[in-house]
Amino acid sequence: MKLGKLLASSAAAALIASAAVAEIKIGTSLPLTGAFSIAGAKHEQGYQLCVDMINERGGINGEQLELIMSDNRSDPATAIAQYERFINVDGVNAVFGTFSSRLTFPVANILAKNGLVHPVPAGGALRIYTQGHKNIFYFQPNAAEYVGSSLQGLISDLVDEADRPKTAAVVSADDFFANAVETGFLGLKVMDPATGGEVTDLAPGYLADAGIEVVYTEKWPEEGFNDWLNLANSIKRSGAELIIALSASAEEAVQLTRALKTVRAEPKMVYYSQGTQVEFYEGTQEASEAILMHTSWHPDAPYVGELAGEPFSNADFVAEFTERNGFAPDEDAAIPFAVCQGIEQAIRGAGEADNDKMGAWLAARTSSDPVRTILGAFNWDSVGLPIDKPFMVAQWNGGELQFVYPTNEFKTSPLNYPKKGW
Amino acid sequence: MIMADMVQILVLGLALGGVYALMGSGLSLVFGVMRIVNLAHPSLVMVGAYIAYWAFRLGGVDPMITLPVALVILAATGVLLYKLVFEREARSAKYSEMTVLLTFALAMVVEGALGTAFTNTQRVTSPDYATDAFFIGSVFIPKGQLYSGIVSLTIISALALFLKYSAFGNAIRATTQNRDAAELLGVNVNLVGLVSFAIGIGLAGAAGALVSFVFSFFPAKHWEWIAILMSLVVLGGMGSILGTVLAAFILSVIAAYVGFFFGATWSTLTFFVALFVVLLVRPQGLFGEKPELA
Repeated sequence: MKLGKLLASSAAAALIASAAVAEIKIGTSLPLTGAFSIAGAKHEQGYQLCVDMINERGGINGEQLELIMSDNRSDPATAIAQYERFINVDGVNAVFGTFSSRLTFPVANILAKNGLVHPVPAGGALRIYTQGHKNIFYFQPNAAEYVGSSLQGLISDLVDEADRPKTAAVVSADDFFANAVETGFLGLKVMDPATGGEVTDLAPGYLADAGIEVVYTEKWPEEGFNDWLNLANSIKRSGAELIIALSASAEEAVQLTRALKTVRAEPKMVYYSQGTQVEFYEGTQEASEAILMHTSWHPDAPYVGELAGEPFSNADFVAEFTERNGFAPDEDAAIPFAVCQGIEQAIRGAGEADNDKMGAWLAARTSSDPVRTILGAFNWDSVGLPIDKPFMVAQWNGGELQFVYPTNEFKTSPLNYPKKGW
Repeated sequence: MIMADMVQILVLGLALGGVYALMGSGLSLVFGVMRIVNLAHPSLVMVGAYIAYWAFRLGGVDPMITLPVALVILAATGVLLYKLVFEREARSAKYSEMTVLLTFALAMVVEGALGTAFTNTQRVTSPDYATDAFFIGSVFIPKGQLYSGIVSLTIISALALFLKYSAFGNAIRATTQNRDAAELLGVNVNLVGLVSFAIGIGLAGAAGALVSFVFSFFPAKHWEWIAILMSLVVLGGMGSILGTVLAAFILSVIAAYVGFFFGATWSTLTFFVALFVVLLVRPQGLFGEKPELA
């Protein structure tokens, strides 16, 4: 009799235990090494913090999250293989997106083919969203091609007409993301790489709209480029008053800044597509002064999102991240955290980790009933791009990344213009 | 104005060549003596760069001061690597082929260890001269690359003097020219191999200290260096230090002019085109031995 009770209670305990460890598996392939490793490592921190905090608060609908993370070495083929493995071998219930347009573009096809919701933390090239996928949702303000509108607005709103830059040098990495941003600035056509057809024509471009003449353009190869002084010297020789440097790599932003300082270029304004990271400041120090860059996140943005079904503010995120890691977060940790918030809300909204239901729930979000994250509220158009979310523009001043534009969102710092040396 | 531009490009090419020269010299020495194609050489340059970085960050120590320390630490590492990994198969007929795989694996181990220890984030040291320049009229000479070039050539000159005028240097040269003959004449080729390998790896450490303020770096950065360094060694002649140094300056200057006239994308390609052309037209490079036909 005692033995029977013991067996029965053991079986019950085993059942309870198995129920308690029921898991929602989430896979993500990140560039933890290679060219994008700086941002990739921070994405890992953002995803991991979010998953840990959800689990500590009881998981989603009683189920714990298991995060399966792999290093794709910044290589598209490896990223594709890893997402296929997540789906076919690990049997994940959901995925988090990877970093960069270069990796996101091919991955998007795999996830669409397998019917998984694809939340994208960093993959702004418009071509990613014009392939006809219905499962993709971008967690930054807008496609990279439209980044230039923020700079155009900043110049128009904050710089006296007589003092505005009149000439520009646009230099960029020959990279998926950088090319996309450049397309908007220069007013080029966005082409579909699969069909060769025209996606959209952005002529005349944001610089032409702002009355700025482009006096120099140059591209450097995606990898292995070291001749930064030569490039910086050519920029200086062009006499451009506005320098626009586009890359998906913070490391390249550091190299170019140091070179521009060395050759003593004298622009009025410098705008980068990368450089919000503390590593950028560490590598450039006072040369970073007055350099502008677009950003999707700022620690002072007073957004209130949700986590584990409860309100969770951007300030909460900064405090938690700093306490657990011993250093403050930046944009590359905040964006993946928001992606994780979005997927959590999608699973809760769908009632289960069913990708069809999750996708339908995300697609049904509206401005009055959005996904709420530390990057603010999100609802998406038919191709998966957010609606009514302008980029923020930040500027390094005195070693602090200050939020300067737009001025009608929340508190901003004054624009430091023109740039006074390096 | 055009003349000033041409002079400026020449200066920038020479400045870059000085850094490449030291990075390539160690690789060339190790190949010349040991027939080891050391694919891990740039990853060991990264180790030297990290030594300089942490000395600068924690103690404000100038990378020029850290350079001899990095050289000695990496040379000692070279001794260990040689004894543990490369010595035992030195007489194998397939030694060079085996070392390609061995050093490839070593490069991955070093990259992984650096990433684990220091994260994969970018680093760079910032002594004042790293982002400053001398201006002569409209032509500027970047101080960081000028100083690193001078130090680089000083080290290479000291090595050349050592190889030419010391007894042990003669033994190294003899072993480079004909290992079997040198051994028959009483040269301790194993000791020569050990010392040459240690010097070669030590040079990687020294180059790393210079690289730390000329370029930003992270553990995986070494993959971007290996093709460039191999092109220098091949053009110079596998095993010829003088050839490697000349190749570094020649290719860097050509790349600078290519970048200026045809665009930055093409400047990087210069090194790879040179690699292919040399292998096709003059496989022994500028100063290498003509390969024997079997």
